[in-house]
Amino acid sequence: MTDYRLTLGKTFAYQRPSIERGYANQTLHVDLSALEVSTRPVTPQMKDLFIGGKGFDLWLLWNAVKPTTRWNDPENALCIACGPLGGTPAYPGSGKSIAATLSPLTGSVIDSNVGGYFGPYLKFSGFDAVEIQGKSQADIVVYVDGIEQTVQVYSAMGLPEDAYTLSAVLTDHFAQGKPRNISVVSAGPGAKNTFFGCLNFSWYDPKRQRARYKQAGRGGIGTVFADKGLRALVARWDAGISVDTNRPADRERLKAVAKRHAREIVALDPKQNEMAVIGTTHLVTIMDDHDLLPTHNFRFGSHREAANLGQAVFRRLFDPGYDGCWMGCTVACSHGVRDFVPLSGPYAGVKVFVDGPEYETIAGCGSNLGIFDPHTVIELNFYCDAYGLDTISVGTALAFATECFELGLITREHTGGLDLYFGNRAAALAIVHQMARGEGFGAVVGQGVRRMKTHFAERYGADPKMMADIGMEAKGLEFSEYMTKESLAQQGGYGLALKGPQHDEAWLIFLDMVHNFMPTFEQKAEALHWFPMFRTWFSLCGLCKLPWNDIIPEDNKTTSEPAKVMKHVGWYAEYFSAVTGRESAPDDLIRMSEAVYNFQRLFNLRMGFGRRAHDSLPYRAVGPVTELEYESRAERYDKQLADTCQADIKNLSTAEKMALLRMHREQQYETLKDAVYRRRGWTPEGIPTLATVRRLKIDFPEVVALLAAHGVTA
Amino acid sequence: MIRVGGKEHPWRPGLTVAALLAELSGPECPVVRIDQTYVSRPHFDHTLVPDGADVFLIPMIAGG
Repeated sequence: MTDYRLTLGKTFAYQRPSIERGYANQTLHVDLSALEVSTRPVTPQMKDLFIGGKGFDLWLLWNAVKPTTRWNDPENALCIACGPLGGTPAYPGSGKSIAATLSPLTGSVIDSNVGGYFGPYLKFSGFDAVEIQGKSQADIVVYVDGIEQTVQVYSAMGLPEDAYTLSAVLTDHFAQGKPRNISVVSAGPGAKNTFFGCLNFSWYDPKRQRARYKQAGRGGIGTVFADKGLRALVARWDAGISVDTNRPADRERLKAVAKRHAREIVALDPKQNEMAVIGTTHLVTIMDDHDLLPTHNFRFGSHREAANLGQAVFRRLFDPGYDGCWMGCTVACSHGVRDFVPLSGPYAGVKVFVDGPEYETIAGCGSNLGIFDPHTVIELNFYCDAYGLDTISVGTALAFATECFELGLITREHTGGLDLYFGNRAAALAIVHQMARGEGFGAVVGQGVRRMKTHFAERYGADPKMMADIGMEAKGLEFSEYMTKESLAQQGGYGLALKGPQHDEAWLIFLDMVHNFMPTFEQKAEALHWFPMFRTWFSLCGLCKLPWNDIIPEDNKTTSEPAKVMKHVGWYAEYFSAVTGRESAPDDLIRMSEAVYNFQRLFNLRMGFGRRAHDSLPYRAVGPVTELEYESRAERYDKQLADTCQADIKNLSTAEKMALLRMHREQQYETLKDAVYRRRGWTPEGIPTLATVRRLKIDFPEVVALLAAHGVTA
Repeated sequence: MIRVGGKEHPWRPGLTVAALLAELSGPECPVVRIDQTYVSRPHFDHTLVPDGADVFLIPMIAGG
């Protein structure tokens, strides 16, 4: 048993408001420097313009920081919110929390949508969001007890370092015999010692009798959490939750639409992707078949061993049973591996339960590192979570370092003696353990790709131009795990994403490359408007996007816009109307998101990087950087040069053909930017126009002044 | 006999995924699942559908 001590430093008693139409109508503010706890009202304007979830996070953060604020300044706020629809048990995918802060990787806003019970428990305890500012020298645990109507701040000694045991210990500590009433948010030692720390959000799995967890992975939110001295944030609420807990405006209407969607998933998931059985692992071989699975630092999109990491393997490895990360979700895709025994690190030889892996982790910590052994991927998954490390950034950063090693840009002298070639499973594990300790070459990789490029150039004399081409980051954030070379629309999906190259804004690869739904620039721009807006809406409301388009109606293909799954969009409008009483049609959902989306773009501008130049991509995301890459798909590239560029390539060398292709593809991407900016109502510099912010009613004096400072007055 | 999306469909020796999809003459489909195996378009021409199989047409508009 872990020997630890929690010493109560502060108790804040409050009167829990009743939830009305999905809102608690107040937020919780915790200042760790002053050890002060207070509540703040949610105004009608906040609900009208920002809706909830990520929208509330952004508004709280905007008011908390200045343009000069850095990620590790005390005034940087870490915000976690649910959303008005969050916490509905009957509607699939309705238990999400959205975390946001200033990112140590990008310097601007980062947000992450995550499962687990924390967000709904926080709201039902009386708070639409929690905002944490300040920093503590001591280790701190903040405990929100919605049943007792108190917020308590403890100083902690001797708690387990890693999230795996910490979540279990704190669940047991606060449960009072009912562990399902507890959700724990925690980071881990890797979050403290790298720039891409994640947060683990727990929920208690009664069948397996253990705390399970999901990750708010991207952008170093866990690093901010750890830097503030927070060890954990705990919420307690009575798990007896029903559709009435949100006090919806129209209970019967809510029940009807929830039942329709939940039943459809139960009926169709077995006929489609079987997410309730294999999660997102089906994507591995499908991506590989279409040359879209990143391998060897995004050099290639397929590998002969990819099937070793496919769904057929994980179908056997996942522990069977219900795996919903929120109560009653019928997608239930949060699978895990029982009785896994790591070969390395502090849990070597110990049976553990591993939550995951999902597709992104398999591609990031597997194929992109040249690792095609599922057990190593599971072990990397386990330690990344336990240490509080984002598996995507770990995979992409390590892949970059590995390619630098293979190209001779860095050597064994720099890696501490590790032979960092693709497929070196022992080295990958060793580096992850080093990241957790903040030691050795792991500490260098843990800075992220952008800082590594500078580090390698300045200290080791590595070629900055080559590293600019192969370092898979944009805006400072590591790429998530899809190849974009052959999909211009997905290049936009990554390059034009507000927080950096994460696929949650727009996943257009299949629509663009395989279905060819958007052949023109204008069609691509329309997609790069509509999809980011609709996907943003899920994070405003506390929802998961998977029920929208991962299981689709059987008649969807006969509709006029199959890619949008408009039948489900209509159901979501119905869902929103039923809970909030704000009657909404599908177009209204897009308008809600548009206000928040543009506000986030302006937030970036305020922090110094919301302009055209910041939407650029490393060339590896656009085309072949090396002759090896070109030659491996020479037929494809030659054909494009001949057909699209009308180039006579007969007498050209590979290097000359690559230069021609690069010029063409980079030009295409710039043309796409122009089309998207026009569609979004932005200037050619990528800044929302005054007319746009006025239309969206976000023309606050500070916003207008910001635009004027950047020369935008119309 | 095989089943496609739960409905019976005649089977014949040598039936490939490509031939099956041609017989169904529906919208283009990039991925199918045959029982528990996913097959993508690049493999449609040379993948045989076994007798008695459950075949599902996977729309693949999601992902991510």
